[in-house]
Amino acid sequence: MRRRGLWLDLLAAAVFVGLLAALPGILRGAYGQASVSYLALGIRAVGLAVLALSWDLVARTGQLSLAHAAFYGAGAYAAAVLLKLTGAPLWLGIPVAGVVAGVLALGLGAATLRLYGIYFAIATLAFAEVLKTVVKSLPFAISGGSVGTNLPPLFRPVFVAGEMERWEVAYLRNQGYFHVYLGLLAVAIVVSLLIQRSRLRQAFTAVRTNEFVAGVMGVNPARAKLVAFVISSVIVGMLGAIEAHRFGSVNPDATFSVHTTVLALVTPIFGGLYTTVGPILAALVLSGVEETLKRTLSDGYLVAYGVVLVVSILFMPRGLVGLFRGLTRRGRERARADAPRADALGGRDA
Amino acid sequence: MPEPVLRAERLGRSFGGLAAVQDLSFAVEEGEIFAIIGPNGAGKTTTLNLLSGLLEPSSGRVFLGGVDVTRLPTYRRCHLGLGRAFQVVQPFPEMTVEENLMVGALFGEPGASASEAARRVESALERTGLAHLRDTPAEDLNLLQEKRLEIARALATNPKVLLLDEVMAGLRPAEARQAVELVRSVRDDGVTVVFIEHVMPVVRDLADRVLVMDYGRELAHGSYAEVTSNPRVIEAYLGEAHADSGPDADGGSGGEG
Amino acid sequence: MDLTLLPQALVSGVLASGLYALVAVGLALAIGVIGIVNFAHGEFFMIGAFLAYQLFVSFGFDPLLSILFVAPVLFVIGAALYASTIRFVLKAPELNQMLLTFGIGIILQNLALMVWGGDPRSIGGVPYRAIGIQLGDVSVGLVPLGSFAISVLLVGGLYLMLARTPVGRAMRAVAQNRIGAGLVGLEVNRVYLVAFGLSALLAGIGGVMIAVIQSPTPTVGLAYTLKAFAIVVLAGLGNIRGIVTAAIVVALAESLVATLVPNGDALRNAVFFALILGTLVYRSWRKT
Repeated sequence: MRRRGLWLDLLAAAVFVGLLAALPGILRGAYGQASVSYLALGIRAVGLAVLALSWDLVARTGQLSLAHAAFYGAGAYAAAVLLKLTGAPLWLGIPVAGVVAGVLALGLGAATLRLYGIYFAIATLAFAEVLKTVVKSLPFAISGGSVGTNLPPLFRPVFVAGEMERWEVAYLRNQGYFHVYLGLLAVAIVVSLLIQRSRLRQAFTAVRTNEFVAGVMGVNPARAKLVAFVISSVIVGMLGAIEAHRFGSVNPDATFSVHTTVLALVTPIFGGLYTTVGPILAALVLSGVEETLKRTLSDGYLVAYGVVLVVSILFMPRGLVGLFRGLTRRGRERARADAPRADALGGRDA
Repeated sequence: MPEPVLRAERLGRSFGGLAAVQDLSFAVEEGEIFAIIGPNGAGKTTTLNLLSGLLEPSSGRVFLGGVDVTRLPTYRRCHLGLGRAFQVVQPFPEMTVEENLMVGALFGEPGASASEAARRVESALERTGLAHLRDTPAEDLNLLQEKRLEIARALATNPKVLLLDEVMAGLRPAEARQAVELVRSVRDDGVTVVFIEHVMPVVRDLADRVLVMDYGRELAHGSYAEVTSNPRVIEAYLGEAHADSGPDADGGSGGEG
Repeated sequence: MDLTLLPQALVSGVLASGLYALVAVGLALAIGVIGIVNFAHGEFFMIGAFLAYQLFVSFGFDPLLSILFVAPVLFVIGAALYASTIRFVLKAPELNQMLLTFGIGIILQNLALMVWGGDPRSIGGVPYRAIGIQLGDVSVGLVPLGSFAISVLLVGGLYLMLARTPVGRAMRAVAQNRIGAGLVGLEVNRVYLVAFGLSALLAGIGGVMIAVIQSPTPTVGLAYTLKAFAIVVLAGLGNIRGIVTAAIVVALAESLVATLVPNGDALRNAVFFALILGTLVYRSWRKT
């Protein structure tokens, strides 16, 4: 029964990603030059979806991590430093970024195994800030100190006069990035679905609900938490590297900015925690909102995320997905199985 | 002589300066129903926590089937066959009954396949009479059903030894009788049972051997008749105004139950 | 390591500890009395700083004067936030509380960014800013000294209030036993309101002072939230008395690192954060 569910889910995901992959071409045909900025928006939306899914993964074990920006930044810097100091091939930075972030997460996860709830959150936030400061203080020759360093772009379309318009250079570049981001999203979706449809789901939910009782049932809580933490960080580390290529540079304040963490946690909470659809849906919605807001308020548009978070906590504990599920009976049942439980968040009990 | 299925050797645990359990040694034979009784605060639940790994002992060791499990974490003891049901029921509230059992079935034995786990879940559902409630969210169960769920969950992990903590508390007499039957059937299926209980008639009916604790130490052990006629045991209970302090005692004030 | 700078480092550290204690004690009040870990605490500090800045720029208010204005305004802001949002999550799991206050913090920070932009602002034109006393190797700025004195007064005043006044006693009662306090007729909700407003007020006054000492940006809130946490965690959650000692320890550590360690100034913030991380992790493994 579960197997069939998994294949169905994967099929749906494949269709979804496939449709999105065709999007650039469609946009170009319909909008011509304007498609360049639409694609840019699409890239940001997909990036946010990856960010959200990866944060949700670790939240499934009850660990509400505020260190997400640290792994994003670690991945970005890993790629930057690798390319700067060695003659490594361009694309190697991305998997290396994932590995570096994963190892870092293993360390932090292991150290914080006995920290729960708010203490865990504070410790992870402190870690993120420490990492930012440390990177800032690294020798200039390695990482550019507090100024940062540049990265080569992943795509360098060549302008051939007479065969294409000028804007198509930008279009091709965005198209390339869009597909790379989409690839990472596909990975994140598959991971999320695999977990949801395997015994890991029971393990994660049990650990999240009550780590001690989970242990009595034979679940190894440390392993569950570490697995979630590392997988989540590998994904977001790779995202960091890809984004660094796209932005062309890294610098400590921007790359390790807590804004990344804010986006990463508000999005899945708004969309519906512990689901695959929730974070993606919320990412699409919030990117659109953000785009509109950015036009009216340049600094401080992030205030919208704060408002969304506050509203979600006060009025929508199950997120958008919970709202939709309330409409069908089967959905309501599934929502109850998935939703965070009142006294279980922060789950320790003995 | 076969190795006892569960053995405590000079177990001790202190909190701050206070010794909750001191120098406690006992052995439980395979297939028996072993009761631990004693006044409130005697250290009974602490003992169960030490046995199951939720607490680390300050001194002493725990052996499971001859294996020293003292340093092993809870989940490993589960894999080795130790099951536990809690006094204050702690289901996974948002999961259905079946899903609650699934956790134990999938992880209670390392390397269990999905079909094995499903079989164990079915069997546990049958034995505890919860099959008709399999799709009910655990938070919607009444007290007796929750207690059955506690036991069912522990059974789903395929235990050799089952630790029960005051399962009778809060049950009406008819329900308590059902619970007693359940415990008997569990033992008849080959699971050794160690249980803490305050309700004396239950102990009298079920227990093969009884350990009496007071102030964290062993006060007496033996058959039910032996310990309840032991003057030191009676004296320890008198202060609790406990009803059943001797084999002939009947009624009297209700005590703390 | 240039040890001749040691006395200066020590003095600077002690002087800085006053402000840190002030901010931390406000957070400790929120945690101890209400039971809420307020991730937005540093934003009250930031608002205090920027209100003072604006008053200076628009009306020429001296910061000392601004304190009189900022204090009640921050109290009202804190109380209003409590009444409109925080009150509703008091019974919710603490992670929901954390996320809510985190969200409030984001809102406050970004509102400030919208109003004042991201550049550092400072109350620079104040006459006494440049005055200092020279004691041998050590120079003591009048402003740090003044802020230390004000902080000591305020923290001391808070302790007195908690110990002697009915309001303070009510807060201590509630902190020790929420249910019991309610049973003997204390209106717990009102106590919470006052406590939260007070915590915002204290942080805000700290902010006024930092606007003169440094050049804060609207993003400074998070760093000070974490610094307050470091001190509160070190002292032990809910322990209001231990704050002073913890603040001195933390401030000295920061000052020593900044002065004596090569490239230390860049690392000074990391000291706080490493301290929290280290303390939390160490303590978690020490328990059995």
